[in-house]
Amino acid sequence: MRLPIKSGWLLVLPFLLLVGGLFLGPILNVLWISVTDPTPGLDNYAQLGSSDTLRRILWTTLRVCAICTAFSVILGYSIAYAMVHATGPAQSRMLGLLLISFWISVLVRTFSWLMLLGRNGVVNSTLDALGIISAPIPFMRNELGVLIGMVHYMVPYAVLPIFAAMQSIDGRVVQASRSLGGSGAQTFWRIYLPLTKPGVVAASLVVFIINLGFYVIPAVLGGGKVLMVAEYISVQVLITLQWGTAAMLAAILLFGVLALMFIMSRFMKLSTVFGGART
Amino acid sequence: MHDKNFMRETLLQGAQAFQAGKMQRRSFLALCGMAGFASASVLAGKAEAAASEIVMWNWGGQSEECHQSAIGAAFTKDTGVPLKFDTSGPLQGKIKEMVDSGNVTADVCDADLFDAVALGKTGHLEALDYSVIDKTKTIDGYALEFGISIILYGYAFMYDTQAYPDGPPTSWADFFDTAKFPGTRSLYKWANGSLEAALMADGVEKDKLYPLDIDRALKKITAIKADTIYWGSGSEAQSMIVNGEVSMGMVWQNRGRSIETETNGRYKLVMNQALAMPGAYIVPKGNPGGADVMKFIATAQSVPAQLDLFACLGMTPTNPEAIAQMAEVDQPYSITSAANMPMIALNDPTWWGENTDTAVNAFLAAIS
Repeated sequence: MRLPIKSGWLLVLPFLLLVGGLFLGPILNVLWISVTDPTPGLDNYAQLGSSDTLRRILWTTLRVCAICTAFSVILGYSIAYAMVHATGPAQSRMLGLLLISFWISVLVRTFSWLMLLGRNGVVNSTLDALGIISAPIPFMRNELGVLIGMVHYMVPYAVLPIFAAMQSIDGRVVQASRSLGGSGAQTFWRIYLPLTKPGVVAASLVVFIINLGFYVIPAVLGGGKVLMVAEYISVQVLITLQWGTAAMLAAILLFGVLALMFIMSRFMKLSTVFGGART
Repeated sequence: MHDKNFMRETLLQGAQAFQAGKMQRRSFLALCGMAGFASASVLAGKAEAAASEIVMWNWGGQSEECHQSAIGAAFTKDTGVPLKFDTSGPLQGKIKEMVDSGNVTADVCDADLFDAVALGKTGHLEALDYSVIDKTKTIDGYALEFGISIILYGYAFMYDTQAYPDGPPTSWADFFDTAKFPGTRSLYKWANGSLEAALMADGVEKDKLYPLDIDRALKKITAIKADTIYWGSGSEAQSMIVNGEVSMGMVWQNRGRSIETETNGRYKLVMNQALAMPGAYIVPKGNPGGADVMKFIATAQSVPAQLDLFACLGMTPTNPEAIAQMAEVDQPYSITSAANMPMIALNDPTWWGENTDTAVNAFLAAIS
């Protein structure tokens, strides 16, 4: 007997229903609120044109996320490169350390940074005791602090996709390049880097998208002056009760991410990026 | 909608039967299952709120123990009704969401009096029963239709005694004067208290603050923005001070005493021009515990409860009788004591209840 649809779909059907009910439902609700609260229409979206504050918050968010993504991916690339060229036990140890850092809570990290780099932190007091500085260096409670905290959090997320991409490279192509007279630099820029491009793109996407939702790190390490969109949404939901504005910003984030993925998909197969079969 | 109400009633009766031991746990859970309540949430105390008990929604930590010992014990002794806690923090948005969803699981929120104004207006709160609760056991003007002030906290500032050996800052004007008193400051990042402080610094009389002139306040605040960092929670405010990140920092007044003690007096609290904030009890519309909650609020007004809360959390009693009975050594830390009263300003919950959105968003736009 032939089913009109492949039987595999029946197996995933319960999960599709769960996703539909518990994920799409609330998202549709948010979209609905964004065009109905407080009055029906596109007033909430019109604020983007009229409010300097909203535009500044979105710009801060994009700027911080872009800078953080760049640093995380560059650092992640170096770490992945070192890992892929380490041998057996060393590589497992490195992977272990990387995974452990996933388990450290964001609050612990945040307050550790304050201990280390704060005004009276370990670094500033050491430099001061050595007579290198006369006034503390303001590492924290500003945009630099936010970037340090965010990059530190995101590096492991950048390493894993790049590491996976590097592992799948056939080492013989590098040898071939060298044996045909390519220099080390040429081999890296023209052979190795292009081959790891899917990993780099995946890492950038993952890091950027997770960054967009950062809340605790900017709120604490930014000293109140680096206001990013996630914190602003939370204030509008919990304190000022402007749910329409909050829903509109959430919708903008959602569509922004979807648009980003669409643009990426014009350049490469997203399934490759996320580890799907290469067809 | 009717079905939902019917199931609620059924559940409520089931829960009461369960509580009284007339129904087996298994049958009760089966009933909950039929009603569509996940048993996990039942076990977590959600539907159990229906079974004659009062659930207080507060901020957790120390305040859970303190409310239990100061108010809960006496209340349970008098009424036989136990006090339970939800410690997720009753912010306005969460209360609104809970009431709108029709699944109200809390009876009384440890909130602000301006929340009573804002949410009372939109129909999210139960009116208080002033035949049970006593209007005279609070400060004049702090017994409103939808909420009553039980304790006071406040906004004041602390300074580092080592930073200013030649003469300490004594007023908000000094706090905002970075030429005379150099060093980093900290302010509360969601406008409350910070706006009043700025206006007092700018010369506005403490009893003529409201309606707040937001633009004037923000001008003062942005003038010292380069020397200011902003905090969002009490523990953050405290760590900014004790870790030496700021030379002067705004704090919640009730925490000042413990910071002074912990630092052996290095950081000192300035009570002059402190802003007294009415912390209030409010009741979400359709609370599961019903009218018992009014008795709970009345218990919280009693002198022993008020004095215990002060000892436990540093929150100033609102019942004048409790203030009168306070020990001499506690008086300076009680924001409305006879000695402090001429120095401090009183928050206007009605202005904040009506203007929170404008004030907070203008403040955020100015500091970010």
